[in-house]
Amino acid sequence: MTFKHVFNKNFGKYLLGRVGQTIMVIIIGITITFIIPRLAPTNPVELKIQQMMVSGANIHPEAIKAFREAMNDIYGLKGTLFEQYVNFWSRLSRGDLGPSIFSFPRPATDIIMKAMPWTIGLLLSTSVISWIFGNLLGGLAGYQSNRRWTKWAELAANSIRPIPYYIFAFILLILFCFVWPLFPTMGAYDPGMDEEWMNPVFLLSVLHHTFLPALSLVLTGLGAWLLGMRALVSNIISEDYVQYAEVAGVKKKTILYQYVMRNAMLPQITGLGMSLGGIFSGALITEYVYGIPGMGQLSYRAIVGFDYSLIMGVSIFSIVGVSVAVLIVDLLYPIFDPRVRLN
Amino acid sequence: MKRSLWLIVAAFFAASVAYADIDPNKEVIPGVKRGDTIIVEDPTGAITNPDSFNIWTCWAGGNGGWSHGLQQLGLDTLWLIDPDSGLPHKGEKDNTWHNSLAADRPAYNKDFTVMTVKLKKGLYWSDNVEFTAADVKYTVETLAQNPTALFGPQFKTDVKSMTTPDKYTIVFNLSAPNSRFHRNFTVRWNACWIMPKHRFEKDLKSATDLMTYNFNPPLSLGPYTLKDYDKNGRWYMWERRADWAKTSINDFGKPVPTYVMYQLDLPNDKKVIAQTNHDLDMIHEVTPEGIISLAKNKWETNWFQGFPFGHPDPTLIAILPNNARAPFDNKDVRWALALSLDITKVALASYKGAVTLSPLHYPPTGTSKKYYFDPMQGFLKDLSIDTGTNKAYKPYDTTIAAKIGDMVRPQFGDAVPKDATRLAAMLGQGWWKYDPKAASDLLIKAGMTKKGDQWYKKNGEQFKITLFNWGTGNPTLQRLGTMVAELWTAFGIETTALSAQDNGTRYGLGDFDVNMGWNIESWGGNPDISFFADSMHSRFYTPVGEVHNGRNQVRYKSAELDNILDKVNVSDFNDVGKSAALGLEFLKLTAKDMPTIPLMSYNVMSSQDNTYWTGYPNFDKPYANPVTNWANSRYIFTQLKQMLPPTK
Repeated sequence: MTFKHVFNKNFGKYLLGRVGQTIMVIIIGITITFIIPRLAPTNPVELKIQQMMVSGANIHPEAIKAFREAMNDIYGLKGTLFEQYVNFWSRLSRGDLGPSIFSFPRPATDIIMKAMPWTIGLLLSTSVISWIFGNLLGGLAGYQSNRRWTKWAELAANSIRPIPYYIFAFILLILFCFVWPLFPTMGAYDPGMDEEWMNPVFLLSVLHHTFLPALSLVLTGLGAWLLGMRALVSNIISEDYVQYAEVAGVKKKTILYQYVMRNAMLPQITGLGMSLGGIFSGALITEYVYGIPGMGQLSYRAIVGFDYSLIMGVSIFSIVGVSVAVLIVDLLYPIFDPRVRLN
Repeated sequence: MKRSLWLIVAAFFAASVAYADIDPNKEVIPGVKRGDTIIVEDPTGAITNPDSFNIWTCWAGGNGGWSHGLQQLGLDTLWLIDPDSGLPHKGEKDNTWHNSLAADRPAYNKDFTVMTVKLKKGLYWSDNVEFTAADVKYTVETLAQNPTALFGPQFKTDVKSMTTPDKYTIVFNLSAPNSRFHRNFTVRWNACWIMPKHRFEKDLKSATDLMTYNFNPPLSLGPYTLKDYDKNGRWYMWERRADWAKTSINDFGKPVPTYVMYQLDLPNDKKVIAQTNHDLDMIHEVTPEGIISLAKNKWETNWFQGFPFGHPDPTLIAILPNNARAPFDNKDVRWALALSLDITKVALASYKGAVTLSPLHYPPTGTSKKYYFDPMQGFLKDLSIDTGTNKAYKPYDTTIAAKIGDMVRPQFGDAVPKDATRLAAMLGQGWWKYDPKAASDLLIKAGMTKKGDQWYKKNGEQFKITLFNWGTGNPTLQRLGTMVAELWTAFGIETTALSAQDNGTRYGLGDFDVNMGWNIESWGGNPDISFFADSMHSRFYTPVGEVHNGRNQVRYKSAELDNILDKVNVSDFNDVGKSAALGLEFLKLTAKDMPTIPLMSYNVMSSQDNTYWTGYPNFDKPYANPVTNWANSRYIFTQLKQMLPPTK
């Protein structure tokens, strides 16, 4: 298979179509995200006033009135929805999401960029680890289904798979932070350390603090990949071409990796692409349980606080992430699947 | 093989035990020993703007910092009222009142248009600049120029001018008579904190720059200064000032812990785990299930030193019917709703029986027993309502506490006192009877009919209620709302409990049947009702469809109430006897009219670990509110005893 083989004239057409689709999906997704919070019957100003009232502050009714007017002005909520929409795209084209409404005047982009490394670090690594090991074990388990270890692996995967990842996170928390307190309960790294990603001491501390959340995500993810791959491989090994290869005396290793797993990989690659695209929205409950300052917690707070700028920011990353991941997967298909190369 | 396996397991356990060991020498952050540090919870949640210490903007209370030590330890204002009994201190007979930066109580002229404040001498900011009247004047002037600053709009409308005749005196000339203007500078939970003029003048080019100013690092006028904080907004470390005696805490003595660390963003389960591991000395609030679990430990204390655990907050949980919407505009219907509730079931469903009930429109906490609940018992026992079939029906039931006590005793055993007086002090002196017959009579009197097991309104429509309930963020109170809905449905009023995000907005607009929440919060330590009641005056009344700008979203209107509030407005705040007398008038009126259905205080299940520190306030020693995010919690640190000082 040569470069020319894959990236032929058909591929050019395919590429253009897919890129166009991706751009449309992104624009529509962002527009919907812009409109939905503004259709809600409440807004951040009212929420702020309620918050001040229930937090025990005593504010004069006339002062609240003046406050409301000033806040609407400052948040840019005075214009029509269309005017706000035009302003939004004009700002976005300059890479500016505006200030966070609840953490004013801190820019929303700044807050998102601070949370992003945590989410990417946690979810990218755990997604990839669980995908690689899940598929490898699943492939072996499907191909060598009579071995004792594959049965145990399958049993373990079947036991872990139905447990929601957040329940698993709680179980690990109780076991290893409470019953045997081997891991810290609070924060993503030791208090008093500076967030220096190139500092090995800091990285060790992060590993210590994030080991359990990562483990909960890896084990639950691994179970799913393992079972999926095992089922795919079980079907493929009964195909004629596999049986022919076995009869022809092709090495077992070659059959497994070149004939069986390569064919079983296509849906798994799609799945990986989707899950990688989805990491931008974070793993809310895991982040909450373990105190990881990532995108999941951020998006939750943005939604309950009606922080339009943050909601938009997190959603944009998520929409773009998923769309681009799907695009990349689509573009990778021709490499794995000759049928796509032939349109 | 077997032996080595056992050895590995044993080593693993030994390692884990060693890890969990109590160690006053271990470092909380580099250079700060655990034995010198008290670790307390701030329930705000992680702060998304952790670098900002500007408490004067409205953003400070959201995902910005406010109660991470800044208002408790770093800032100060003129006066504080303790929500509980307070501590004895120099210059005041009333322990609940503290002249903090002020040297004396506020002094008004005869018509309450001028307030004069004398300030203490010898108080210093943490950069050794003296605090003076210029700081107070600057604070008010700066805020008045910022309509989105907290207290800004208030100062703009209320303050005509200010003068500082000398360094330690400030005179406020008010735009209109206002006997409660000092409230802006009187801490209950918070108040207007004083700015360091010399620092702000240097950092701000104009007053409006305040809104984007971070005030980082903050200057302190309190006994501690900020030592370090997490850039992700999850903890803040404060260190006792070497010159703490130059702050107002000196009236109470030296704060004992060298360091105070505020931990934010702790889910309920983690709070329990962290305290059990002795990593969290003071929990602000945990679920009833959490405190039941913690209270099994010898090292743990809570407000009641056992059942019912929680500190009754000066906040009144109530059922809030829309007085401007039929049929809730009818007093008889509101009374029927109250009498169709079995309060024992509500108490068990919400706080597992650990409640402090209140039939009055006032939280049953702090000094309220003395000023209101004891004096009102005679009135409540004699109170009669006309149910239509009984013109003198007496609805008050003093046996509720005993009933709840009997219900929870199988679970909590001897922790539930048998002494009726103590039990009533814990669980409340009484509530309304559960009397479906009287409730039915009242609905019939209101023109309703019962067909089958459902009630129908005068116009023939079925009487249904949509009850705005709490969300999952507060499972205890959500269960409370659900039980209320179940009881009304069982009584024949089909009730749907709705937990929706726009409940608050619809409540403000008057677009609701019944809301669950609170609209009454008291000072706790002082009987003055102006704190919550002034916006209930009919001059602030807003019709349904317009947002109400105060605490009267239930839209109750009464000439009698206006009359009481008018009297409050021209009475001297310092005349506690007069304040209490007016408060009693308010309580009698609202008990008869039942504009809302008061249930209980907001019981804050706070828990303390006595391993590293001891001496926390409790029911028998109620010198302060144990709730850690209140500014008044600063006093607790002066009363603690260090149990495990570092040895290295």
